[in-house]
Amino acid sequence: MYKLILKMAWKNTFTRPARTLLVIIMIAVSMSMMLAIQGLYDGMVKSMIEKNKRSASGDISIYAKDYRLEKDIKYSIKDAAKIKEDIQKLDGVKAVVLRVMADGLLSTARKSSFASIHGIDLKEEERFGSFSEFLKEGKISFKKRGSVIGIELAKTLKVRIGSKLIFSTQDSSGEINSIALKVRGIIQTTNIVLDSNAIFMDITSLHKFLGTPPRDATQIAIMGENQKLLHILKSNYQNLDVKSFLELQPMIKQMQEMMVIFNSITFLIVMSVVFIGIFGVVYVSILDRIREFGIVLGIGMQYKYIRAQIFLESVIVGVFGYVGGALLGLILLIYLRDYGLDLSSFSDALEMWGYEAVIKGTIKVSYFTTTFGAIISASVLSVLIPIRKIKKLNPIEVIRAEK
Amino acid sequence: MIKLESVNKYFYKDDPREVHALRDINLIVQEGEFTLFNGPSGCGKTTLLNAIGALDSIDSGKIYLDETEITSLDEQARTELRLTKMGFVFQSYNLVPVLSVEENIGFIMKLRGFSDKEISQRVLEIASVLEIDSKLKLMPNELSGGQQQRVAVARAVAAKPKIILADEPTANLDSNNSQILIDMMRELNKKEGMSILFASHDELIMNSARRVIELNDGVLVDDNKR
Repeated sequence: MYKLILKMAWKNTFTRPARTLLVIIMIAVSMSMMLAIQGLYDGMVKSMIEKNKRSASGDISIYAKDYRLEKDIKYSIKDAAKIKEDIQKLDGVKAVVLRVMADGLLSTARKSSFASIHGIDLKEEERFGSFSEFLKEGKISFKKRGSVIGIELAKTLKVRIGSKLIFSTQDSSGEINSIALKVRGIIQTTNIVLDSNAIFMDITSLHKFLGTPPRDATQIAIMGENQKLLHILKSNYQNLDVKSFLELQPMIKQMQEMMVIFNSITFLIVMSVVFIGIFGVVYVSILDRIREFGIVLGIGMQYKYIRAQIFLESVIVGVFGYVGGALLGLILLIYLRDYGLDLSSFSDALEMWGYEAVIKGTIKVSYFTTTFGAIISASVLSVLIPIRKIKKLNPIEVIRAEK
Repeated sequence: MIKLESVNKYFYKDDPREVHALRDINLIVQEGEFTLFNGPSGCGKTTLLNAIGALDSIDSGKIYLDETEITSLDEQARTELRLTKMGFVFQSYNLVPVLSVEENIGFIMKLRGFSDKEISQRVLEIASVLEIDSKLKLMPNELSGGQQQRVAVARAVAAKPKIILADEPTANLDSNNSQILIDMMRELNKKEGMSILFASHDELIMNSARRVIELNDGVLVDDNKR
């Protein structure tokens, strides 16, 4: 019997092809837009997280106790090089780097600004987070007192490639000391703090300048994201401050949560469109066929078959809309993943907030599975009211009405 | 056997527009009868047919189909009764537009759970009697009015119900097609042995019916067996 019901539902769905097609297109277009927005939202956050991890914190960062409260080199991690060697032996660790950081004053002949100097090992940073990919201008080189400066800081100080700078800070003996640096490269990490405050130089030279032991560091950054690793590190280094990325970047965690809310709102809007679309087409279709339903009820067709038929009609429209939306959405997402959405006109504002001017989308299977579930649910829910109308239908009224 | 005991039916009961549509009807219809409810428009013949067909409720009295008192059944049981014991032919054919002639004829049998083989055999058999066997693959909108009504009759009789209730089946047909349809229904009545009850004021049906029950203002005024 259900084969016949399916056949009736199928044929009824396409009795008025233009109307049905319109709803299918409406579902497909709104769903593809939703998938694209979802991909872009996730892509934005993912890119921000990835760049933050690569340029700053890694998946896990270790500091000396109190360092994050008072960023002073006296709170360096003692013999960080040994700790690094030990950490590299742990399961799940992809890369480990040591960094030394000190706050001070960065000056040109005409301007000066507060800045943080970062001592890094370029080869290790390349392995850790492809540091050279952040290069915007010039080259990544620390030779001959070379340094690399954040793009916003370069703008503030009005420096260019080849400009000379003086960085002054308190060294390990408490004396104010200065070092002359030359700008070799300008980088843009989209990490607001680094872009507007950081200048990078060779870690060994910085140790010498600060007078700190060469095996010490202010930060050990680790790539290797898993909760088990975090747990091991926290338990192995209880005398140090071991933090996960999200613990160090609560703003990004909030942003992720915001994106979930944005996605949910978009999702809700699209599902409402699907619901209203299907509801409209099914309700009108039922009104068109009210006499037919009355008659078949009159001749003995059970209500359950009519209900099944209407559910199937709605699900057929929903599934077609879903397939169209999934295909269109996939094409959009592939485009956004490969080429991104170019918002260069708003680049200043976007970069200020840590976003790239070209936003690239992500593709997750969960977009499609969740949407499928939601569209089928919307299809089923949208026919509840029309079905109630049929349930209340008295066949004799239909039969009387036709005379 | 259908038995009616003191059946009364009102429309707009306890309202200034109240109509006493059936007044104290007592009637017995034996199996295999070819009966016509006749009378002027508004006399209650369709209301009586609908009450017998468990489509409409009554206000007092009892209607029995064999041993079953149908007026006290709930809606689901009435639907089941209509499906298993009755066949309906309406004035406006009311075929399922998205199903072929073959599927329309077999529709009730399908609802009753007959096998596909049984359905196709019976559809072919009944379509031959009604001379629509060449139209089985067509859709209802590809048929003339007379052909559509024959399909409606075929659908009603296919599952071999005990009673066929036909309300003004010839109202939309010309006299030629009406006569063909009545002859075919008489043939089915003879061959299949099912009771056929008409509500109509068509002269052609009156001439063919073996029993004519006259109604006037909801009252059974004459019962003429031939």
